[in-house]
Amino acid sequence: MARYGMVVDLKRCVGCNACVVACKSEHNTPNGILLTTVLEKEMGIFPHTNRVFVPVLCNHCEVPACAQVCPTKATHRRPDGIVFIEYEKCIGCCACIEHCPYHVRTLVLDNRVLYSDGKTTFEKPVAQKILNKVATKCDMCYHRVEVGQKPACVEVCPAGARIFGDLSDPASAPSTLVKDHAGWQMLPEKQTQPCVFYIG
Amino acid sequence: MLADREKVKAGRDVWVPTVCAGCYNCCGILAHRVDGRIVEIKGDPNAANSKGYVCAKGLVRAIDVHHPSRVLKPLKRTNPVKGIGVDPGWQEISWDEAMEISVAALKKVRAKDPRGLILSHFDIAGYRLSGAFGRAFGTVNMHWNRADYCGSASHPAWLITNGTLNSEVDFPNCKYVVLWGTQLGHMVNTISLSASSELSEGRRKGHKLVVVDPFCSNAASKADEWLPVKPGTDGALALAMLHVMVNELGIYDVPFLKGQTNGPYLVKPDGHYLRDAATSKPLMWDPADGCAKTFDTAGLKDPAIEGSFTVAGQAVKPAFQVVKDHLATIDVEEMARVCTIPIEQIRRVTREFCETASIGSTIEVDGYTLPFRPVGIDYKRGMAAHKGGMNSCFAIHMLNLLVGAVDVPGGQRGVNPVGPYWTAGVSSDGLIIPSDFIAKYNKPYPGRKASIPKTLDLQELFPVALFTRGLYPLGIDDPEKYGIPYKPEAMIHGRTNHMMNSHDPAAMAETLKKLTFQLSIVQFIDETAEFADVILPDSHDFERWDMFPANDPYAFIAPGPGEWYFLFRQAVAEPPGEARPWTEIYMELAERLGILPDIYKLGNEMWNLGDAYKIDPTKKYTLREIAERQAKTIFGDAFSLDTITDTSASILRKKTTQEAYPRMFLPSRVPIYLEYLLDHRTDVQKVLDTLKFDWDLSTYSPVPHWIPCEAHAHMRGGEYDLIATNNKVPTHQFSTTTENMWIDEVARANPYTYSVMMHTSAAAKRGLKTNDMVCVESKYGNYVGRLRVTELVHPESVNCSGSFGHWAQGLPVSRKKGVMHNALLPKPTLDRIDTLSGQIDQCVAVKVYKVEG
Ligand code: SF4
Ligand code: SF4
Ligand code: SF4
Repeated sequence: MARYGMVVDLKRCVGCNACVVACKSEHNTPNGILLTTVLEKEMGIFPHTNRVFVPVLCNHCEVPACAQVCPTKATHRRPDGIVFIEYEKCIGCCACIEHCPYHVRTLVLDNRVLYSDGKTTFEKPVAQKILNKVATKCDMCYHRVEVGQKPACVEVCPAGARIFGDLSDPASAPSTLVKDHAGWQMLPEKQTQPCVFYIG
Repeated sequence: MLADREKVKAGRDVWVPTVCAGCYNCCGILAHRVDGRIVEIKGDPNAANSKGYVCAKGLVRAIDVHHPSRVLKPLKRTNPVKGIGVDPGWQEISWDEAMEISVAALKKVRAKDPRGLILSHFDIAGYRLSGAFGRAFGTVNMHWNRADYCGSASHPAWLITNGTLNSEVDFPNCKYVVLWGTQLGHMVNTISLSASSELSEGRRKGHKLVVVDPFCSNAASKADEWLPVKPGTDGALALAMLHVMVNELGIYDVPFLKGQTNGPYLVKPDGHYLRDAATSKPLMWDPADGCAKTFDTAGLKDPAIEGSFTVAGQAVKPAFQVVKDHLATIDVEEMARVCTIPIEQIRRVTREFCETASIGSTIEVDGYTLPFRPVGIDYKRGMAAHKGGMNSCFAIHMLNLLVGAVDVPGGQRGVNPVGPYWTAGVSSDGLIIPSDFIAKYNKPYPGRKASIPKTLDLQELFPVALFTRGLYPLGIDDPEKYGIPYKPEAMIHGRTNHMMNSHDPAAMAETLKKLTFQLSIVQFIDETAEFADVILPDSHDFERWDMFPANDPYAFIAPGPGEWYFLFRQAVAEPPGEARPWTEIYMELAERLGILPDIYKLGNEMWNLGDAYKIDPTKKYTLREIAERQAKTIFGDAFSLDTITDTSASILRKKTTQEAYPRMFLPSRVPIYLEYLLDHRTDVQKVLDTLKFDWDLSTYSPVPHWIPCEAHAHMRGGEYDLIATNNKVPTHQFSTTTENMWIDEVARANPYTYSVMMHTSAAAKRGLKTNDMVCVESKYGNYVGRLRVTELVHPESVNCSGSFGHWAQGLPVSRKKGVMHNALLPKPTLDRIDTLSGQIDQCVAVKVYKVEG
């Protein structure tokens, strides 16, 4: 079975945020909720300084702390490796939010996409509508992946900084990159075994 | 309602190919329409400029269309008093009433003096349409906008050398890229998506990137080396590098200078060329025969570029020698001190640049042997928007020119000097001239004849400038002072926001109040539309047809190898309410004014219509019908816009090597010595004498100088002890994107976008810390914002992003978000204008102090 994952190439990423907005648009997430963001980490002392742009998203851990604590199994790891939330089953208890070491989950307090007038809503067809009072996060664009497309953030990135593929296949693009560039995972000490790798 | 609405692609759930207008790059996109509503945007994989990508600014535009604050009906002002914060007392009126009021006002102006009308927008797809309108109406005052924002000083430097409006770098082949006051290749600037893609590929391949910028921008953050230059001292750094290159390292491309530049042209002590008495042609020294020969003498392959000679008793030197001697006078240590980049670093970077240029190396391209120069410098607004802008631009560009890295594989390149239906020309002095298609009326070289201004932007006082649009407020406020023989009366405005994009809003308010009638065609009532007498609702660009192509091909088709492709902007959905495309509104105004036939006559020339496709001035056409004729002119009679249903891009053919890498195939040379400026200087001086103006024209120098900014002098006073500048973020374009709630969300999540940035040491000196509210105050104005203490900014500078801080009631999302750098700037004064290019200095000395909040 596949183990879907992503390699984020920090050398390529220019911090343009196209991925952040593509994800927002793909899922039509409620106001204030972003399923992926690009952190900007300031490094060094002037003039030897820069900002490192670090795209972050759900790590789709092989040992997901969130799924382990989910009382209803709303959050579970699919056979293809995607850590998935079934919104219908989620009771909004926030256990997963507290236990995710990466702080990538958000509780939805108001699932509408409201314009500045506070009244008009923006609706669009989405694969799985985000409900009220549920936990939400990156779903690895399962609806795209299932039909052979790349996740929205991967497709849009002009810098080629997000590389999607099957980590169980040693010849896949992400597997090769992890091997060739000594890819690393966030917080390995948490033993969650993320499927999102970084190279720099 | 949309003309040609039945031509909109049908279907309940469809993707309609069109062209993004989120910035000027014209990326090809597909807009998803479900049940008549636009719901999402994605890149069009067939559009070669954007390669299927689309940036954050483009993606979010799907929701712009549905913004609840859009203007949906014509409005008229009931309160005659105009001013910031004054309620205009808008009253909804019928379309006919709005038209009648506007047409009556325009007719009155036209009867008095048609030049009293100003056309104002920054919508590149509409320039050729409003240009025809303006000429038919009889006005010379067209396109008041902030195109000078990035380009008054930089565009001329490319036009006189590359023969193009814009510049780029051959990223796939360039091993040493220098970005100077620009973030090309970081989702900013021209050809942004393919450049970003190519540069990221280059970074992975190990190509080196150097960024010169007072702020550690996104580009500087990705650089191998960041040179944090003090604002406004870029010219000093460039001169130091030139001196190191020419006089310390002695590395320059001799064959290129001899064969492709005016380096061998003999120059007299007065700075002018030595010319052949009979033909007036510039002369070169032939060392083989020991005599001077005209520059175009057949067989003269090896003219002297160094030394000094005597011709008919006259002491002369080749232009390159004059440049070299000039550079020898540059005090490198002093320049290093001025720009605050250590001298060792200047020497090392220059050496790396020169060595990577691999002078002498060649590459085979399609059977041609071409020079291979894998180094290139691109520069733009950040370094150009200063008092000595054009001199600094040319100094920087000279680094490209002297190593021959211009329009050859690997180097800096102009964006399409030669195209399928245009080509660069050559002057009688043998130098490159841009095609008429690129710059017809305003070529910086050879230039125009200086005269007493007739245009409100005073362009006649800047005969070698491309445009001087930022100077409109000077002409509007004091026409008599500049000898302008009429009064500005009315403005048709839209798609540009003068109140925010220029200078001190209070001063701009006074300028707008001088106009007796303002028609604004807008989607939102922004700060400038608040001054309108009549407002007409504009459509979004997803709700209109444009002329063909939407991507002005000489500026927005990726340069270098590839294909000639043309993008077509088509309507995806009906505009809401009574909104209509501003372009159609211009046509309706023209019809009611009785000038539509004149527009058509002019359009036959201006819109590039082939003989078989000229329009009949006695008939009436929709914009789409005109677009179809333009398309057929390029593609032939079989072409139909109806077939553009799946992709926005139509491919004409593959580019030839001559088009992709034109330098070695062009009959012209490139100037490294700007002799033509001397005569222009004399002409301008005469006009200034007549007007009794005392301007410093030392900017008209054939060799570049560094000219300090007003801010540098003010800083010495002690009170205003920092220089304020602003930066560009990849998520925003001008002041318009802030009204998008998705972009606003991203901006709010970013620690820098809406903040005021100050270096740690400067903050410590003032007892300031992150999150303090601070006032940044110049002699002319101020803004208040939240401080972010950081290492990312030059210690002598304070920085903010974009042009934010809206205050209009009609902009609920962007109101009071971020700060507005332009509020610090005065209405342009002589101390802040580049007398050569008309560029306005955008840096200013400030003090920063804590305020409550
Ligand atoms: S789209 Fe790509 S380059 Fe841009 S921020 Fe996201 S990962 Fe980085
Ligand atoms: S990153 Fe967090 S939410 Fe995602 S799978 Fe791991 S623990 Fe769960
Ligand atoms: S994979 Fe899909 S859901 Fe996850 S961050 Fe990318 S776009 Fe968003």
